[in-house]
Amino acid sequence: MTAGEVITVTIRRGGEHGAPVPVDFRVPITGDPTVLDLVTAIQRDQAPDLGYRFSCRVGMCGSCAMLVQGRPRWTCRTRVSLVARRGRLDLAPLPGLPVVKDLAVDMAPFFEKWAAAGGGFRPCESGDAVLALVAPESPARRNADAAIECIGCGVCAAACRVAGAEPGYPGPAALNRVWTLVNDVRDADGPRRLAEVAGPGGLFTCHSQGACTACCPKGLDPSRSIAGLKRAAVLAALRGEP
Amino acid sequence: MIRLETDILILGSGGAGLFAALHAKAGAPEASVTVAVKGLLGKSGCTRMVQGGYNVAVGPGDSVERHFLDTIEGGGWINDQDLAWKLVETAPARVRELENQIGCFFDRGPDGGLHRKAFAGQSFDRTVHKGDLTGIEIIGRLAEQVWARDIRRLEDHRAIALLPDAAGAALAGVLFIDMRSGDFTLVRARAVLLATGGGPTMYRYHTPSGDKSCDGMAMALRAGLPLRDMEMVQFHPTGLLAGPGTRMTGTVLEEGLRGAGGWLLTGGGERFMLRVDDRAERATRDIISRTMIEEIRAGRATPHGGLYLKMAHLGPARVRAEFKGMVERCADCGLDLAGGLVEVIPSAHYMMGGVVFAPDGSTALPGLFAAGEDTGGVHGANRLGGNGVADSTIFGGIAGDTMAAWLRDASGFREPDRDLLDQAAGRALAPLHRNGAGRLADLRDRLATLMWDKVGILRTGRDLADAEAALADLGAELAETGAGSASPAYNPAWHDWLNLENLILVSRAILLAAQTRQGSRGAHYRCDFPEPGDLAASSYTEVRLQGEVLTAANRPVRHTRVRPAQETGR
Ligand SMILES: Cc1cc2nc3c(=O)[nH]c(=O)nc-3n(C[C@H](O)[C@H](O)[C@H](O)COP(=O)(O)OP(=O)(O)OC[C@H]3O[C@@H](n4cnc5c(N)ncnc54)[C@H](O)[C@@H]3O)c2cc1C
Ligand code: SF4
Ligand code: SF4
Ligand code: FES
Repeated sequence: MTAGEVITVTIRRGGEHGAPVPVDFRVPITGDPTVLDLVTAIQRDQAPDLGYRFSCRVGMCGSCAMLVQGRPRWTCRTRVSLVARRGRLDLAPLPGLPVVKDLAVDMAPFFEKWAAAGGGFRPCESGDAVLALVAPESPARRNADAAIECIGCGVCAAACRVAGAEPGYPGPAALNRVWTLVNDVRDADGPRRLAEVAGPGGLFTCHSQGACTACCPKGLDPSRSIAGLKRAAVLAALRGEP
Repeated sequence: MIRLETDILILGSGGAGLFAALHAKAGAPEASVTVAVKGLLGKSGCTRMVQGGYNVAVGPGDSVERHFLDTIEGGGWINDQDLAWKLVETAPARVRELENQIGCFFDRGPDGGLHRKAFAGQSFDRTVHKGDLTGIEIIGRLAEQVWARDIRRLEDHRAIALLPDAAGAALAGVLFIDMRSGDFTLVRARAVLLATGGGPTMYRYHTPSGDKSCDGMAMALRAGLPLRDMEMVQFHPTGLLAGPGTRMTGTVLEEGLRGAGGWLLTGGGERFMLRVDDRAERATRDIISRTMIEEIRAGRATPHGGLYLKMAHLGPARVRAEFKGMVERCADCGLDLAGGLVEVIPSAHYMMGGVVFAPDGSTALPGLFAAGEDTGGVHGANRLGGNGVADSTIFGGIAGDTMAAWLRDASGFREPDRDLLDQAAGRALAPLHRNGAGRLADLRDRLATLMWDKVGILRTGRDLADAEAALADLGAELAETGAGSASPAYNPAWHDWLNLENLILVSRAILLAAQTRQGSRGAHYRCDFPEPGDLAASSYTEVRLQGEVLTAANRPVRHTRVRPAQETGR
């Protein structure tokens, strides 16, 4: 796609109720737009009530993800020229989440799973006076850092077939967060968290095929995090820990 | 109309809103606490976008006093000194709380303690951070804590009016649009926090998130509250300039690029900052932004009308290693930050002005509290980089404490003034019944151009007078324009219209304050009054809305802790 061409964008439109309908829009390309720019242009010029979501527009908030050509992506940092094929682009809302309208979804179920998996820091009782000393190059820090920069965009969960099929499965993002906390020397529960996610329907449901990792726009590796959790859970079981 | 009740209602889920929710719940565990947000919880707003970091005087040799003086000097001596003191004094405890209670894992120095980096305009390296994506860590962790507690969420709920009771004695509740259904929701509350985060998105180039449109300030004006320092709009020198058709334009390329030795060049490839300031590209944001506009106006701009940022002379490999996030972001726009030239333009970043409030978070309206970028006075005429996220998390937490305590004395629920409620609902519904949604983008562009050209970085009395007339015209035109008759359910055009209405009102407030300050301080520069005036006799501006008319006054600044003359002995 280059400036001056006209692209045909198919958007799966509809609300939570009623079958979604594909609608075609023809959009002239100016500059080198992102997918979000294209959606914005359609909303401004052709479909004022087109539902879509974004906030930061620079890959920090994780609210603009959609299915682009059938694959989940962040749209504010995906250039049309890299994904369009033969002058066409296909857009649909992120799967696995309730559709609010058109391309906008409700992300609450994604964060409910995150919370249910224990994806939140638990402070030690020792109080507030001092900060933990953690050398930047220490294994403790590097392990905690490996998976920390998640923006909660939901792309990995949308790519995960297991998460789509098993409603109880926490999904890659939540487990990735738990792995970070297991490795966080400041967390009160650290490795004790393993038991919370190792039960039926939990982390061993993962097939380890890495669709999540292949799609993560931040280059994180949730599949590796889950492998780490599995390894640690097996070792803990061998040691007879709960 | 749906009616709900909650003891404590928080508007916004940035650093201020989420911190307030956690503190309110901790202080009053039996109370019901609700966070309402125009978007998704923890995803919208600017705290999420913080790159650089958080100022805190914890390093050996640093002190709260030094942080205070830097804040006051940076603020051009018009800060409310009690607010600024509260900020610097609370920062160390708040950073410990962020680490030990909330779980933020800031970067460490070689000794394992917090790593602190240098930020412009400060006498000490005191900016704590997590890489160049500090805001993700802060808001990600705060949101997790909120999700884990019994705190009610109203996502995709846009506040449209603060409603006092019929006697006007106290705030009774807030009217919302449930954006998903398009229905109104009236939430009665015993205490309400305004934390919608300002956001100067009325300028052609701006850095904040797309959801921010000065809603809180507009609601406060309509509720009769005074706003101070509204002329003080901070521009970040290096907004990305990637052409008019992309939302990437205006977004920030971080300050550290200049700090590390990046150059600013004219369209012809010449460095220009050296001529103006010994610190060259490391000068403060206001000086650089002004010089950039002068260069552009002198005809030395790049093809898109900005200037170039050049990093390549530092070695592309080093740039790629140190500024990974920025290099990748530019690459996604097809630009080579490490080895090539990237076009930049000053971008409207932050509003120092806002609702007048007290150090405990209270405002002139009983039951209404305020924190974060919606408020004014903490930063005076210019905010130091790193003091913004400190402000929102510190005053948000304090307001949460205050609201929890307030419940003990406050009376029960009040009934909102029926007439005001009807008026607010009627005003919001009006555009739905009119056509013209197709004209909204053009109106927004014209507002953005007007504010940029006439009420921007270099101001004159004549430009401001022109803009006053033009803003009135835009307001009238908007009143004739509709959002189409389509369904109100999740209808972006309707919200664009409401955004524009608020942006025009707050633009008028900025303009009036800029006319009122006939002198130059901090971010406000009047070419016709270039002198700062007598620092000891400093004043600040205060704007109010009476009916449809905005009025302004100059009020004396009380230098309650340090006076300008005392500062020289430093
Ligand atoms: C790109 C960028 C980088 C920055 N970097 C730094 C930095 O390095 N250091 C620093 O100190 N500061 C920085 N800042 C400034 C900092 O982000 C702000 O000072 C501060 O975080 C604002 O916090 P807040 O809670 O007041 O508002 P925000 O975090 O903006 O939150 C506002 C909230 O209110 C909601 N809202 C808005 N309108 C409504 C409505 N009508 N109804 C309901 N909810 C509403 C929004 O959706 C959002 O949830 C940066 C800002 C930007 C834009
Ligand atoms: S590796 Fe596991 S979490 Fe990732 S996509 Fe596959 S099944 Fe899902
Ligand atoms: S792991 Fe990656 S894809 Fe998944 S939510 Fe986090 S940033 Fe998004
Ligand atoms: S809009 Fe925030 S990540 Fe895309």
